[in-house]
Amino acid sequence: MCFKTLPVSFDGRGNATLRGGANPYGYTNSTPNHVEVTETEREERIKRLVARNGHIKDLNMDPITRIAGALALHVQADLDNGEYLDAHAQATLFRGYELILMGRDPRDAIFVSSRACGVCGGVHAHCAAYAIEMAMGIKPPPLGTVVRNMEQAAEMGYDNPLHLYLLAGPDYSESVIKASNPELWPLAESWPCPNAHIHGFKKMSDLMVALNPLTGSLYREGLDFTRLSREIVVILTGKYPHPQNVVPGGVSTTLTLQTLNEFHSKLGRIFDYAQRMMAVWDDIPAFFYEADERYMQVGSRPMTMIDAGYWDDPYAYDGTYENCNEWGDKRWSTPGAVIDGKLVTTRLTDINIGLEEFVEHAYYEPSHTTRHATDPLGNPLSPWHPWNKRTLPKPGARDWKDKYTWSTSVRWDRRAVEAGCYARMIINAQSRKIPTSDFIESTGHSVRMLVPKGEVGEREVEWHMPDVWNAFERNRARAHHYLYSQLVGLESLFEAYKLFQQGERQVASLTPEELEKAIPQDNRLGVGFWGAGRGWLVHHLEMDKGKLTNYQITTPSTLNASPRDPWGNPGPYEEAVMNTPMIEDLSNPESFTSIDMMRAIRSFDPCMPCTTHAYTGDGEIVREVNTCSCGGD
Amino acid sequence: MIDYHNQHRDLIPGSPAQKLLEGLGRAVGFHDLDHIGAFGMPTGAYMEDMLAPAAIATAATRFGPLEKVHAFWFAGASCDGCSVAATGATNPTVESMMLGAHPGIPRVILHHPVINMESGAHYMRAAEQAMEGTLNAPYVVILEGSIMDELLAFDQGGYWSAAGEEPWGKGGELRPVSTTEWVARLSINAAAMVAIGTCATWGGIPSAEGNPTGAMSLMDFLGKDYRSVLGVPIVNIPGCPPIGDNFTETIAAVCYFLQGFGPLPEFDELGRPAWLFGETVHRRCVRGAYYEEGQFAHEFGDPECLVELGCWGPVVNCNITSRGAVRGIGGCMNAGAACIGCTMPGFPDKFTPFYKRPPGSLASTTVSRMTGSLIRPLRKFSNNNLNREVRWDKTGEVTSGFGREKSDPGMLAEVTHHFYDKMRRFNDNATNDGAAWGKIGDDGGDGRHPEQARGFKSGESSKKAMPGRR
Repeated sequence: MCFKTLPVSFDGRGNATLRGGANPYGYTNSTPNHVEVTETEREERIKRLVARNGHIKDLNMDPITRIAGALALHVQADLDNGEYLDAHAQATLFRGYELILMGRDPRDAIFVSSRACGVCGGVHAHCAAYAIEMAMGIKPPPLGTVVRNMEQAAEMGYDNPLHLYLLAGPDYSESVIKASNPELWPLAESWPCPNAHIHGFKKMSDLMVALNPLTGSLYREGLDFTRLSREIVVILTGKYPHPQNVVPGGVSTTLTLQTLNEFHSKLGRIFDYAQRMMAVWDDIPAFFYEADERYMQVGSRPMTMIDAGYWDDPYAYDGTYENCNEWGDKRWSTPGAVIDGKLVTTRLTDINIGLEEFVEHAYYEPSHTTRHATDPLGNPLSPWHPWNKRTLPKPGARDWKDKYTWSTSVRWDRRAVEAGCYARMIINAQSRKIPTSDFIESTGHSVRMLVPKGEVGEREVEWHMPDVWNAFERNRARAHHYLYSQLVGLESLFEAYKLFQQGERQVASLTPEELEKAIPQDNRLGVGFWGAGRGWLVHHLEMDKGKLTNYQITTPSTLNASPRDPWGNPGPYEEAVMNTPMIEDLSNPESFTSIDMMRAIRSFDPCMPCTTHAYTGDGEIVREVNTCSCGGD
Repeated sequence: MIDYHNQHRDLIPGSPAQKLLEGLGRAVGFHDLDHIGAFGMPTGAYMEDMLAPAAIATAATRFGPLEKVHAFWFAGASCDGCSVAATGATNPTVESMMLGAHPGIPRVILHHPVINMESGAHYMRAAEQAMEGTLNAPYVVILEGSIMDELLAFDQGGYWSAAGEEPWGKGGELRPVSTTEWVARLSINAAAMVAIGTCATWGGIPSAEGNPTGAMSLMDFLGKDYRSVLGVPIVNIPGCPPIGDNFTETIAAVCYFLQGFGPLPEFDELGRPAWLFGETVHRRCVRGAYYEEGQFAHEFGDPECLVELGCWGPVVNCNITSRGAVRGIGGCMNAGAACIGCTMPGFPDKFTPFYKRPPGSLASTTVSRMTGSLIRPLRKFSNNNLNREVRWDKTGEVTSGFGREKSDPGMLAEVTHHFYDKMRRFNDNATNDGAAWGKIGDDGGDGRHPEQARGFKSGESSKKAMPGRR
């Protein structure tokens, strides 16, 4: 493992040291070398094109619907050449959750930060619990960790179909194809679906009718399966979103055999549905790629992404930063950073210290500090690392060259990294580290899964690393992640039965009185490495004298909705839009719908409620929450 | 009939809403949709028109005068959790309301950013029409998330929460329009203003101590005297998240009334549906009886009453323990989760720190521990007896192969149960002697009660007594 840009070297044992020189983290001292088009070059090109071309439109889509939360997109569209010359993603909501957490009892963090996002409704509560446990030195009992895994697997069961059928699905439905891509409709009517024997739709046109909003059978079925998975979640959490059962050191669920049996019987209904889901989202790319190869470019960008891992080994997880590389490696989904398709590290410490957040193009004042030169293990930390960051929110006028969003610019090794549940598929395909399972296998280049028999037969499926990374592959990988997560739920349920059999009933390590006494009075750091329906989710906190003194949330949609960084590199949404061709008929500029741009954006599953930053009054802001596991609020 | 097109009333003087619109100035003009063309309109049709063929009912089956109603869903300082909760509702479902598939409910034209096919200016068009008074039906505004003080941000040239942009800047320039501004402008001619979730109803977490945005509730924003054009104050459906069914059912109940067949729904003094929030959550709590018997959970995961783990249920208005969270499943205390008061105006600051027993519970738990220590042994005593077949009492043998620690009741218990049964059957008419109807050879149709016919007569041993309830 080594960083390409950050001034950090690693010795043979993986310990990091800072390379010398004054201000090694300075923008000019550590400049990413992958800047393809500078802002100046981009502007000049647009100026040249505008000078000789009347069909460049400056358009702002506000709001973009069928995503979670508030996102707007500004584009410069060249309708003559069918290109998006420029794109600016705007997170249009700020709420100030980190500020609300400042100075509070650490016990409040779980239920307060949960409200950062109601779409990925349970993930923040869990992530906060992990951050608190690290800071307070608490380790949950095995059954507590197993129940958390069950909850979070079941939550994916709601989250993935919600996206695929309510948010993204309509973009591929009859209602859109007939209006935006009419040339595809006759083809769809004659195109036999290769997976018709699994999902039951003979022709692609039948499948597209089923994707129609509200009236389509796949739309309705998707909605209903989100409800089934929510039923599973609330058996354990009481309510959803915002679980009520997460406590520092475990959960408070009263686990009975009935709880496990109900979980089992409801989960059992999902596997047939998972087969249909994968079949649908395998056939859609096949049809579009065949219809027009340019669809491979819709939403494309390098396969460069990051994930903090998900679902702990109940016997390995000990809540410490010191051992996080060991327990991280034993997760049901391995942590990792992927650069241009290649897995470069699975160590949580590398993932952590490579992280930086910049605010040049966001409505904040600069507020990086050098408070922590290293992490608790002595690895160097950037002044822009979340543990070093205070944020001073400053609402202001929108200026595409200056500040235009509430989302910060998150970078890893100064690269724009993408987050998504599909990052888990990409990392797990390569890592070969996931636990031994009858149902899931990491082959080094693919993820192989065995679907248990339901009313239809069992089936082995294999998800392969795609050659291109685009909107269609995001959706396909998400459909496979749905199965993956449900298999983790099944494995975790078996673990719970096993523990039950052994007479184990303890779900939390401390009683409320012990918890109160355990609140440390000295200075502590904590980080929760976790995930969401949209991938990556991390909470960093600091506490002192028994109160939270810094709280930072970095959500997947903060990563994806990132604006330009200090070197002019666009964030993932912006980059994906600029790489998207306009495939629709542009002969009449008035009929330009931008459907492919929307397919590109929605394939990320944007979730904006989490992007929140805060200040303390008098214009001084102390800390912020960034975009949700969702996006930019 | 109310003239939605021309009626225009002012906002309550001195309310934050009125101050905001005074500060922002008049809204003049809307988008030029010709210029925008089909941008953001991938289906070539508005959602209302797309769904119309599936959703329109004729007057014959409509059950009332309203054919359709528009519902504008806005998100202020929100996590979208209320939207998610609403999509989980099943009594009725959101999709059945949108498709007019629920008899008696007018077709609901929902304008929701998570549902609609149109984006950008096309998505905002209906809201513009509502402002202009050209919308083709009455509308309600539903707000999730709190209202933030946008003047604070506007003074710095920015916003906290925006939804769409309009040419309302200086000289007609496009500026992001805050959710708060939309809510203020649309409240003027709305048929009803509905706050969903604790942020919109009472401010919630975004308005907690230390917040930078000046977040507040919809009521605080529009003012005490606000009335919709139908004369209704703000309707509040709290919860963080709310139960989806509480929301859809309330909307449905109002529709039933407007259609002329349902009763006038009753709202309490804080605008909550009284039939849903009239009771404390403790009264229907599945663990309430543990409280009565003085048994309390000490560790997370224990099955008893959660009050000492930090449960505020006895003083919180909510119905989740009886209604469940999704399709009747779940409920906080049902699962083992303590109530933190998320439906209450005092949430969160009057309930923190979490996981700590409410100090006021000491008095009542002490009393219930005392009574419980008396009641529990008595109930256990009876429970033991009731766990025996009458036959076992006669034969003296319990036939369960799982084994019982104690198969014989013991002399004292037998005597006590004997007198207990006497008490139970005191004044029982069946103690009168009489020939039993229905016995073989004695079924002459004398009209006696069948119970008598089974042959239980006074004077027989208590071992033959019918099992009964305490």
